[in-house]
Amino acid sequence: MADDTNTSANGRTVYHANRHAHPVKVAAAGVDVSYGDKQALHGVTLDIPDRAVTAFIGPSGCGKSTFLRCINRMNDTIETARVSGSITIDGEEVNDRGVDPVILRARVGMVFQKPNPFPKSIYDNVAYGPRIHGLSNSRDELDSIVENSLKKAGLWAEVSDRLHTPGTALSGGQQQRLVIARAIAVNPEVILMDEPCSALDPIATAKIEELIDELRENYCLIIVTHSMAQAARVSQMTAFFHLGHLVEYGPTEEIFTNPTDRRTQDYITGRFG
Amino acid sequence: MTDAPASSAIREAVSQRLAKRHRAEKRFRAYGVGAIALAVIFLAILLGSIGFQSLGAFTMNTLTLPVTINERQADPRGDGTEESLRRGNYNAIIQDGLRAQFPSVDDRAELRDLFGLYNGVNSASLMRKVVANPSLVGGTTDFTLPLSDDVDLYLKGITVSERFAGRQGALDVVVSDQTVRLESAEPAFADFLTVMRDELIRRADEAAANASRLESAAGAAATRDEREALLSQSRRQAALSVSLRERAEAQGDVVLGTDTPALFLQAEGGVIQVRSVSRDGRIAVGETLLPLQAEGPITAWTEWAVETPSNARRISDRRMVYARALEDRDMVRSGFNTILFTNADSRAPELAGVLGAMIGSILTMLVTMVLAVPIGVGTAIYLEEFAPKNRLTNFIEVNINNLAAVPSIVFGLLGLAIFINLFGLPRSAPLVGGMVLALMTLPTVIISSRAALRAVPPSIREAALGVGASRTQAVFHHVLPLAMPGILTGSIIGLAQALGETAPLLMIGMVAFIADPPTLGLSGFLEPSTVMPVQIYLWSGAAERAFEMRTAAAIITLLSLMIMFNAAAIYLRRRFERRW
Amino acid sequence: MQLSLFTALALLVLTAAGFLLGRRRALAAGQGRAAGLHSLPDYYGYYVAMWTGAPALVLLALYGLFGGMLVNTLALAELERSAEPLGARYESVLEIDPAHAGLRAERDQAEAGRLAAREYADAMFTQHGAESPQMAEAMTDVDGWIAEGERVEAELETRESQLLSQILGAAPDSPQGLAARAGLEYAQLPIERRQLFISDIRALAFGEGMASRDTAELRAAAAVFQPYETTIKWTVCLLAFSIAVIGLARAWRRVAPGFRARNRVEGAISFLLMLSSAIAILTTLGIVMSLLFEAIRFFAAIDWRVHEFLFGTQWSPQIAIRADQIGQSGAFGAVPLFVGTGLITLIAMAVAVPVGLFAAIYLSEYASPGVRAWAKPVLEILAGIPTVVYGFFALLTVGPFLRDFAMLLGYEDAVTQSALSAGLVMGVMIIPFVSSLSDDVINAVPQTLRDGAYAMGATKSEAVRQVVLPAALPGIVGAVLLAVSRAVGETMIVVMAAGQAANLTANPLESVTTITVQIVTLLTGDQEFNSAKTLSAFALGLVLFVMTLMLNIVALRVVQKYREKYD
Ligand SMILES: Nc1ncnc2c1ncn2[C@@H]1O[C@H](COP(=O)(O)OP(=O)(O)OP(=O)(O)O)[C@@H](O)[C@H]1O
Ligand SMILES: [Mg+2]
Repeated sequence: MADDTNTSANGRTVYHANRHAHPVKVAAAGVDVSYGDKQALHGVTLDIPDRAVTAFIGPSGCGKSTFLRCINRMNDTIETARVSGSITIDGEEVNDRGVDPVILRARVGMVFQKPNPFPKSIYDNVAYGPRIHGLSNSRDELDSIVENSLKKAGLWAEVSDRLHTPGTALSGGQQQRLVIARAIAVNPEVILMDEPCSALDPIATAKIEELIDELRENYCLIIVTHSMAQAARVSQMTAFFHLGHLVEYGPTEEIFTNPTDRRTQDYITGRFG
Repeated sequence: MTDAPASSAIREAVSQRLAKRHRAEKRFRAYGVGAIALAVIFLAILLGSIGFQSLGAFTMNTLTLPVTINERQADPRGDGTEESLRRGNYNAIIQDGLRAQFPSVDDRAELRDLFGLYNGVNSASLMRKVVANPSLVGGTTDFTLPLSDDVDLYLKGITVSERFAGRQGALDVVVSDQTVRLESAEPAFADFLTVMRDELIRRADEAAANASRLESAAGAAATRDEREALLSQSRRQAALSVSLRERAEAQGDVVLGTDTPALFLQAEGGVIQVRSVSRDGRIAVGETLLPLQAEGPITAWTEWAVETPSNARRISDRRMVYARALEDRDMVRSGFNTILFTNADSRAPELAGVLGAMIGSILTMLVTMVLAVPIGVGTAIYLEEFAPKNRLTNFIEVNINNLAAVPSIVFGLLGLAIFINLFGLPRSAPLVGGMVLALMTLPTVIISSRAALRAVPPSIREAALGVGASRTQAVFHHVLPLAMPGILTGSIIGLAQALGETAPLLMIGMVAFIADPPTLGLSGFLEPSTVMPVQIYLWSGAAERAFEMRTAAAIITLLSLMIMFNAAAIYLRRRFERRW
Repeated sequence: MQLSLFTALALLVLTAAGFLLGRRRALAAGQGRAAGLHSLPDYYGYYVAMWTGAPALVLLALYGLFGGMLVNTLALAELERSAEPLGARYESVLEIDPAHAGLRAERDQAEAGRLAAREYADAMFTQHGAESPQMAEAMTDVDGWIAEGERVEAELETRESQLLSQILGAAPDSPQGLAARAGLEYAQLPIERRQLFISDIRALAFGEGMASRDTAELRAAAAVFQPYETTIKWTVCLLAFSIAVIGLARAWRRVAPGFRARNRVEGAISFLLMLSSAIAILTTLGIVMSLLFEAIRFFAAIDWRVHEFLFGTQWSPQIAIRADQIGQSGAFGAVPLFVGTGLITLIAMAVAVPVGLFAAIYLSEYASPGVRAWAKPVLEILAGIPTVVYGFFALLTVGPFLRDFAMLLGYEDAVTQSALSAGLVMGVMIIPFVSSLSDDVINAVPQTLRDGAYAMGATKSEAVRQVVLPAALPGIVGAVLLAVSRAVGETMIVVMAAGQAANLTANPLESVTTITVQIVTLLTGDQEFNSAKTLSAFALGLVLFVMTLMLNIVALRVVQKYREKYD
């Protein structure tokens, strides 16, 4: 890939190695999105590596969430939204008419800004995906999926003794981890996170960040965040959006230390946003 | 961490169940569509059936009759004063007018049929006509009156099925003192015999079907008594079926009776009712109902076959003949039923109208409006703008929400116990009805007004207070005008509800039969009256078919009124809608 | 009427004058400029007008409400006073009349016999149970005594009216004599007939409506009424007028530049507003009090056998003539009505809940804006159609159709007025109610929950069934409860389409009757107000009110809790 040689020529060997190890998982080309008459995204083109964390940053309303929601076709649920352009996961076009969003979303998990556990028990929350998709044949199998997911989400220790209490009774940070457990219970290939820590305190945030770092080993993670520090801490790649355009995309360290675009620099240094 | 199933395996599992899940999805969606469709279909059937039923009531047949207003009958005292004119026997005048049309009619039973063409109450309107114009006395004038409901429905073709067929040929007419014998070389009456036979056989089949149904029901009967009863019914039906079939197949003359179709012959300006027909269809014997104007054989006639037997219709043979005769003389007109809108209630369907109920509704709604809107809006303003948020106002709120869900009939009980029994206000009065409905409507007005007030952004209040206005001034000068459209819409919707309300008004006696519309003025508020929905209720209980149609017509009228109300509400909402 | 109308007009004119005078004085005091005044000149006008009009008009309104009652009370008191000598004579005649005394003794005997028989019956009931032959025998005995008591009572009444007419006949035909006779007649009338007597007198005296009869006694009584009416009317009108003038003068004198007219006027306005919000409370209070009061009178009339009202299975109020019989025959057992109400409500809910809920789900989750634009108005129209129209439709279209259909299926006893037709039509009437409430509730479920479900790969129906509905459940339960309360209290459909027969049945093809139907039946048509039959309607009303109130309170609580959860 031309990109690869480019980055290696600049001596960013860490990422060079990384991207070789982790080939492109999600590739977007010329994605336009409009809500009714209002165009929210203009020709976004970028490749997202597997088994790495990619962060989207940018001022509010620049289209980060919009782009994120294109990847699992959540925009289908908005009547006015129109999406064009191509997004592929492992080379398969997402926007094809033949692609069933149900299958797509089983492959692409999503975590939202505000924790949104279903009004069910902790167990049922995690078991929801496996149940609707029929991933387990027995109660035991389901139990182990739930346990594993909760363990991966780092919540098992806290809730193992009260799996059948309502998920809504947990603290905000726990709820967010529960939601992450719910998302990974169907073993997705990609996990999208839209500002997963914005409603949490620093300690809960630290836990989630730790979790993200662990999940990186198995999944392709894409997270939207408003915190530069967080992007710098957890992500390997960063994309900067502005007014519906993808302004700059590259290895996180490069974006933060040596942005090529003026706007990126202004945003990172806090001059607007 | 490789304990998770491989992703392709997951994809496999998901797609396996996918078809089933999509079917479930379709099914679920279909339930939703079905629910909406059900509501739509029901509404269509409801409006369609009522609209269809009402059709017959929007037209009426009137008779324009030349009547001679002689002094003897119209002016018994002979002094031409109003008082004397009011005592005239106008019914006799109308009756004489009718007899003049049918000079051959003199027998008591015949006269009864003739005079039954109209309702005697019409004499009052002739009286009013004469009193208004005393110069009519001594002369002849055209008087227009509605035909009685049975005749009206008959002429509209709703209650009786009949056929007219023009015939040519030669028919010998032999008149003996009571009967007329009609003879022809051809089987002139063969067609009718077929009609008759078909009808008898149809009824025989029907009875046979009934019999077998009853018999099978008897087999399933729970108790012995029940079984016996069903079996005996079944036997009766079977016997009836046999006798009907026998009659249909019998040799000899075919006799027409009250349970068979009837046959009339119109010729030479007269009418003959056929009583029996020979089996070969060549000879008919009958009686003259209206005399033929010429003697000797006739060459052209109209065969008038009435399929509905006379014991299955409310109008007698003779009255049908008279009605058709008047129609042929061009004295019967069918036109828009103005009586429906110019008369109050009446026992005679053809004279019953909704005017009284309409005025009653107007008076009642005025009271409701005058009470419910200011009090409701006042309460809303108090609770929303002035009241401290404490236990008391909280209690008032809960209380209002509960009142909104109290069954309307309970408000009627309240009105009966308090307004009528305790305060001694008159029963059946629009004042009391309006008060009861006002209490009932109050919660609706309050709740919608509060919503409207709440929708006015606080910045408006702050701005007004900021320039030194008092709280009251801020509310009345700035907030209230902005909330007005919402308040008006809510009030109109509440009033429309009250307009359609029936149950509480039954409690306070607004169900009386009111033949005179109440005065459309101050004194009307205390006069006994009824309202549109109650009128609908009253008419729906009446036995006459014509009332059934009038009920439907009254419903259409009421719905139109309500549509107007709601259209006004929608208009106001559109006109003044504001977005903050 | 004329006089008070005239006074009211005069008061209005005076009020307008008060406004102008107050304003003028304020302007004069401020030397023609508003700046020197505490409030705008108009407020001074309002202030004066307020004190001129309000108290006098309130007085006049009070007179309108209670004036008639006052006149009645005073005039009747006079009538009764003038009848006292006659009354005393009547009493003494009753005392010494041998026939009457004999009958009184017989009555006491019958009463004693009845009490003894009933005690015995109660003993038999506890020993042998309700179905036992001993019990039946004892009950026959009780009934025998009751019949005996009635016979004696009737004879007593006849004898009393004989004696009364003797006394009345003996009184002179002078105006005083006639008035005394009217007074005695009134005093002897049973309470339920007094109202008619009074309205006849008023009709003769003041031409209020038509008198049902016209006798010399009534005319004499009318002559007693007239002066009271005149005096009170003039007093009130003059009083109102003077209050207005005094108010005007006093308020006018207070007008001065420093006077805080606006605060006074605003105080009055907020007082008025507070008063209007008190109406809502007064209404509830009025409902509770009137229902309770009349229901208590009813229970007193049936010997406090409240349990028989609530648990008795025999409802035939028409044949219950005397209090005793009621207890005995259980003619006021309301269970058939409760069951009928329940049956129809059940049928209605079976239609309204699924259809309403699915309609709401479809409209809020599936329908395109285009579909919503016409489907919602359709539901609103269904909601706006008066119930009497539904009743007509049930009676003339649905009822006959169901009857014919049932007959076709071999059910011979099908009737036009059935629980099924009333229930079905009522269900349709309630569909929009359920759907609009559920719509609110479903829309209150936060979008993030739906997003969560969709993001997990749920289909729309899975998201709705497994996430949205469980989340909305409390709200939907509240909506259903409100709908039940609606169905229980609905009147016209059942009055027209369900029939009157108090059948205790669960068969939806039979006629049943409901609480509301019986209230209507008992209170329409001829009624004497104080009979147990009429009063029982209020007891039913109380049951209805309590039932719906509880449903409403629970439902509103549930819905409110639910709203708070997602706010
Ligand atoms: N459902 C919608 N309907 C119409 N416009 C929308 C909708 N969702 C988003 N938009 C618009 O699209 C643009 C991009 O929105 P988006 O939510 O993607 O921004 P964002 O970058 O996620 O912002 P934030 O950081 O505040 O979450 C915004 O201008 C927004 O107003
Ligand atoms: Mg966003």
